[in-house]
Amino acid sequence: MNIELTELTRRFGRTRAVDGVSLQAGPGVFGLLGPNGAGKTSLLRTMATVLPPTSGKLRLLGRDPGGYGPRREIRRRLGYLPQSLGYYPGFTVAEFVEYFGLLKDMPPGRVPRAVAVAIEHVGLGDKARAKLRTLSGGMLRRAGIAQAIVNEPELLLLDEPTAGLDPEQRVAFRGLLREFGQRSTVIVSTHLVEDVGAACTEVALMDAGKIVFHGTPEELTARGEGSGAAGDAPLERGYSAVLAAARSVTAARA
Amino acid sequence: MSDPDTGRDYPAASRRGRWGGGPPDVDLGRVWTGVAAQVWRREPGWLERAAGRLLRSPGLARALLTTPSLLVPWLIASVVVLGAGAGATLGTGTPYVALLAPAVAGAGIAYAYGPGIDPAWELSQSMAVSDRMVLLVRALAVFGLNAALGLAASAASGAAVAITFGWLVPMTAVCALALAAATLARSANVGVVAGLSGWAITVLGGRVADGRLTAAVTSASLVLPYLLFAAACGAVAWYATRIPRGTS
Repeated sequence: MNIELTELTRRFGRTRAVDGVSLQAGPGVFGLLGPNGAGKTSLLRTMATVLPPTSGKLRLLGRDPGGYGPRREIRRRLGYLPQSLGYYPGFTVAEFVEYFGLLKDMPPGRVPRAVAVAIEHVGLGDKARAKLRTLSGGMLRRAGIAQAIVNEPELLLLDEPTAGLDPEQRVAFRGLLREFGQRSTVIVSTHLVEDVGAACTEVALMDAGKIVFHGTPEELTARGEGSGAAGDAPLERGYSAVLAAARSVTAARA
Repeated sequence: MSDPDTGRDYPAASRRGRWGGGPPDVDLGRVWTGVAAQVWRREPGWLERAAGRLLRSPGLARALLTTPSLLVPWLIASVVVLGAGAGATLGTGTPYVALLAPAVAGAGIAYAYGPGIDPAWELSQSMAVSDRMVLLVRALAVFGLNAALGLAASAASGAAVAITFGWLVPMTAVCALALAAATLARSANVGVVAGLSGWAITVLGGRVADGRLTAAVTSASLVLPYLLFAAACGAVAWYATRIPRGTS
């Protein structure tokens, strides 16, 4: 298993952004769904070793990121796209991707070719030498994805990767996800249910810091059948039904 | 169809090139990737190459280029402030350079720290080259540059030798204070405010106690307290930038 979380909790003051999450994931594309404020980004940042957990166990790529050596090794093999990715406006796309390739400790001799492959992968070949300040929001997002995949990560964490992408780019991106999912663990946090249905082999639904559903997209769809839950697509109805059930349980306990 | 080096599939455009009728023994996808790798690559400048060799890490060397307080506009502003200080020193005889240099350096050190300043700060925290190492290298570079600028301004203002070098130790303390405050509060702006306030209080306190504006940079009895204070602030910054081991 590339990801093993056991009763993982992350608190900010009194708020439990991640509340006792247990999860295991191997190679494949794993969708993380949930409403705004559900804790998806905090969970992803914890898995990206940006935030240490408050309690619980976390193992990534078979290592405990609590120690300096294992954490560094995990980070060499990690790709991460934050929800709000900042850019150096004076860098070109190639310079930006190269910079993070170098910070990932890639052998310098391998970096230029890896940068070229990553940029071509996200379809930005014709913009490789363009300054980041001249790019559209969707292109910047693709540059962010390119830096995430430049080191061919075994663990790829993407927070709202399709934000700003047009429909054609989203379709191409799902293809990239499926390709990486064949050999890596890809975690995609999103609130776009259709992305999960099209690309993910497993899905977890978070609400109020907890995982309230874990299964396949088909199983999530089945939860919505005959439930009368709101949604235009079967998967959306499953999403709504699971959320409504989880919230009614929480309300009953309160 | 995969790149033999990486095992990764070639991009669609490259595959089209290969399927488009090229000679069977020429792998156009691989050729294109090799060409693109060279064409798109920016050759590092001599300074970056030298830093890369010195630090034994091209990533750390590139990180220096993204340091907010090492960018050209900041450097110009520092030169202007210290130049004005040198002019004022020549005109009035009061060693303003010695009073300005620690303040300029303290602000620069605080702005070597990422949150709210470095646009890709969150991403850089997930990198194998640790953000603490990046901060250390950036802080040392900013300190060294500001020390050089301050010494040049002091020399240009014709200050006495004691004044020329007297501010180096207080500058160390101010920089350490700014860095400690910035890392504790996770805000470069807080570091700037702490550094400037601390230095202003020290200078004004020295004037009240000694009657001279330059007491804070000329009093030999303050050297040890400055160094102890700098060491304590350095320890605070080290603690503030740690990632807790384990999961509590």
